[in-house]
Amino acid sequence: MSDTAAPLARSPIAPSPATVLDGWEVSARAATGASTLSDETPLAKVLVRAPFDGAGREALGVGFGRTLRTDLGSGAVLLVGSAPGEWLALGAPGTAPALRTALEERLAGTGELTSVLDLTHGRALVRLQGPAATAVLAGVCAIDLADTVTPDGTALRTSVAAVVTDVVRDDVAGVRSYLLHCERSSGQYLWDALLDAGSRSAVEVTGFRGLGSGGTAR
Amino acid sequence: MMLLPCPWCGPRNAGEFKYAGEGGARPDPATTTPEEWRRYLYFHANTRGWVTESWYHGAGCRRWLVVERHTLTHEVREVRDAVQVAREGAR
Ligand SMILES: [Zn+2]
Repeated sequence: MSDTAAPLARSPIAPSPATVLDGWEVSARAATGASTLSDETPLAKVLVRAPFDGAGREALGVGFGRTLRTDLGSGAVLLVGSAPGEWLALGAPGTAPALRTALEERLAGTGELTSVLDLTHGRALVRLQGPAATAVLAGVCAIDLADTVTPDGTALRTSVAAVVTDVVRDDVAGVRSYLLHCERSSGQYLWDALLDAGSRSAVEVTGFRGLGSGGTAR
Repeated sequence: MMLLPCPWCGPRNAGEFKYAGEGGARPDPATTTPEEWRRYLYFHANTRGWVTESWYHGAGCRRWLVVERHTLTHEVREVRDAVQVAREGAR
């Protein structure tokens, strides 16, 4: 890595084999199967806190339990209503400072006590995708994953393999897909637990997918 | 599995919550006696029947909840966000 002048960011999930993308060490694997697990930790992650029933919620355009694909001026963003009074904004790698500024500007006029915090390097984010995703996730969490209860665009927080995890259903071109977001220190454990749960369903590791645009895989 | 119906998240495994004991008015720290304060901290009615309790949904919405629960049957007749309860109390 002596040819890399800029600092190299690493996910808590060790990639094998590794390559570098947008200043992040990522997995060089490319799965051939339909059901995959990918490390999406390089995505920008910005946490917003504001009153759950105030003007901030109106300004952000989405409340607890749902997601919104939008562009605040920093590129494509997936805005997640992760808890009452709490939002998680996901953007392309490297866009966290611009995303933070855009969110601060969006909330500036509300007059409410709000906070916007870049958590990109403090959290882990993975994507479980494909026809086996539901069965694998059901093996490690107690949430009803039926379409009638948790349709596409649902956001919730619960225990996944005993790790407190944001579960975000974010289907990609009609294919079942879940983003799972947890504390950085639990990232490798959650990854291993999901791979273990997915071993019978032939879940394969694949490289960084990114947010894409409008829910399309990259 | 013991279920607790969270007003934000829906019914969840009680393991996602932290039980914080019987609710009730806190004595004023400025005027209370050490004996009253000890009783408030460590002594509980431990009722067999309906109690009002505080629970924290740490693995979910991360909200404090006020729960009315029957300790014998585990029937839960009301769960509200503690902030909303406090707002109503302040009126
Ligand atoms: Zn909850």
